[in-house]
Amino acid sequence: MDDAAGAYRILVVDDEPDLEPLVLQRMRRSIRSGQYQFVFAQNGVEALQKLGQDSNIDMVLSDINMPQMDGLSLLEHIPDVAPDTRSVIISAYGDMKNIRAAMNRGAFDFVTKPLDFDDLRVTIERTLNNLDAWRQAESSRLRLAAIESELDVASKMQQSILPTEFPESRHYEICGNMTPAREVGGDFFDILNLENGCVGLAIADVSGKGVPAALFMMASRTLLKGTAIGLYDPGKVLGEVNQLLYDDNEAMMFVTLLYAVYDPERRSLTYANGGHTLPVLFHADGTHTILPSTNGIALGVMSGAEYEQATVSCSPGDTIVFYTDGVTEAFNNEGEEFGMDRLLQIFESAPGNCRSTIDAIFNTVSDFAGDAPQFDDITCLALRCSDH
Amino acid sequence: MPIESRRDAGTLIIQTEERVDSANAQAFYQELDSAIESDDKAVVMDMERLAYISSAGLRVILQTARKLQQQNAKFAICSLSGTVREVFEISGFDRVIDIHSSQEDAVAAVNG
Repeated sequence: MDDAAGAYRILVVDDEPDLEPLVLQRMRRSIRSGQYQFVFAQNGVEALQKLGQDSNIDMVLSDINMPQMDGLSLLEHIPDVAPDTRSVIISAYGDMKNIRAAMNRGAFDFVTKPLDFDDLRVTIERTLNNLDAWRQAESSRLRLAAIESELDVASKMQQSILPTEFPESRHYEICGNMTPAREVGGDFFDILNLENGCVGLAIADVSGKGVPAALFMMASRTLLKGTAIGLYDPGKVLGEVNQLLYDDNEAMMFVTLLYAVYDPERRSLTYANGGHTLPVLFHADGTHTILPSTNGIALGVMSGAEYEQATVSCSPGDTIVFYTDGVTEAFNNEGEEFGMDRLLQIFESAPGNCRSTIDAIFNTVSDFAGDAPQFDDITCLALRCSDH
Repeated sequence: MPIESRRDAGTLIIQTEERVDSANAQAFYQELDSAIESDDKAVVMDMERLAYISSAGLRVILQTARKLQQQNAKFAICSLSGTVREVFEISGFDRVIDIHSSQEDAVAAVNG
């Protein structure tokens, strides 16, 4: 049998040579059953040496008066050598002064001389139960910290891929923003400078949470960028990115992604949609159009999926708002959904510049949701067409 | 509310809960995982009670569909509310998941 792997190890420290055989004799059942193992030291110095060499000692049972180093000094040094142990002091009956001193130095409990072994058994059990509970709490705390740090990593990855600067052009204006959910969703947007003055706009929502979703987000964004720079047609770009994501997708993740190319020369927007919510075009006259559906499935789900594309013409002053379902599916404390209508109402008078458009959306959603928890990332990207 | 499941003449019929979002998607997946046996060959998910599904919930449906495909089982969903159907249509999932308007139609489809 393994060297009593499950046994608790107890270090007994006393200068009286009689104690060792007595403990071994009176505790023999617990020793034989593999519940406890005892190791012995004659004084504080020897006890610290044993603690330093043997990291498996769970508990120290120590006398107070000993040569070289007494029990009270030993208590002071134990946390440096073996912080994960519990100490119990053996004191003279009624010696409250030393008992108080021992408790103040971190002893968990005390027993008195002459040793009552029934009481000692109860004390040992109680001490070890406390130690186990503490160890469990400590391990949950460490697990929780690991989860939090994973969320932190995912959140940093997400923030790092969002554009921080928006292109400046006489022909158009672009602005975007994202408010991450507490548990990190998978929204992102991107702005790509293409040939001939064209600009690519992408908005996306990756399913799932945490680091795997963040990695999938990074992959989606990188593949989109790489593909979009070589291919003009948004439909072809999505087809290509879909296949690349599908081929290496063990975790069954997917991303809804809408990709559009704005041509300021023609003032036209060509887009293809992989399962994302459709953008809204707010006209300069205060009316709006939801961009027509182009029937495309979320990326990463279906091999060989094809993506149709459509083109809309814009007039100066038109604003196209791309958004994720975190906007329309924001909930308030009454359990109501923000919904499409509230989004459209924001712009009953035509939107102004892009920054104010984005701010108006985020402020309205935030006022609506109040202090209700935010379950999903909220992301918006706006493009405003100017004169040539 | 957790899912409910029953077997009717060899078809596993699962009633979904009212809401599947990122907060309960993992639990939803585990419930489905324990409800579905490896020898099930016909599975219908009735979404009559489902009022809201987020992309995290869609992923669970997709994982379940893929798992059933691997065990050569037929899978269909039915009784989607207007909003839930819209989510399946917008995401394009209506093209990879067999959707029926009634439980009878769905049961007939997975046994066909």
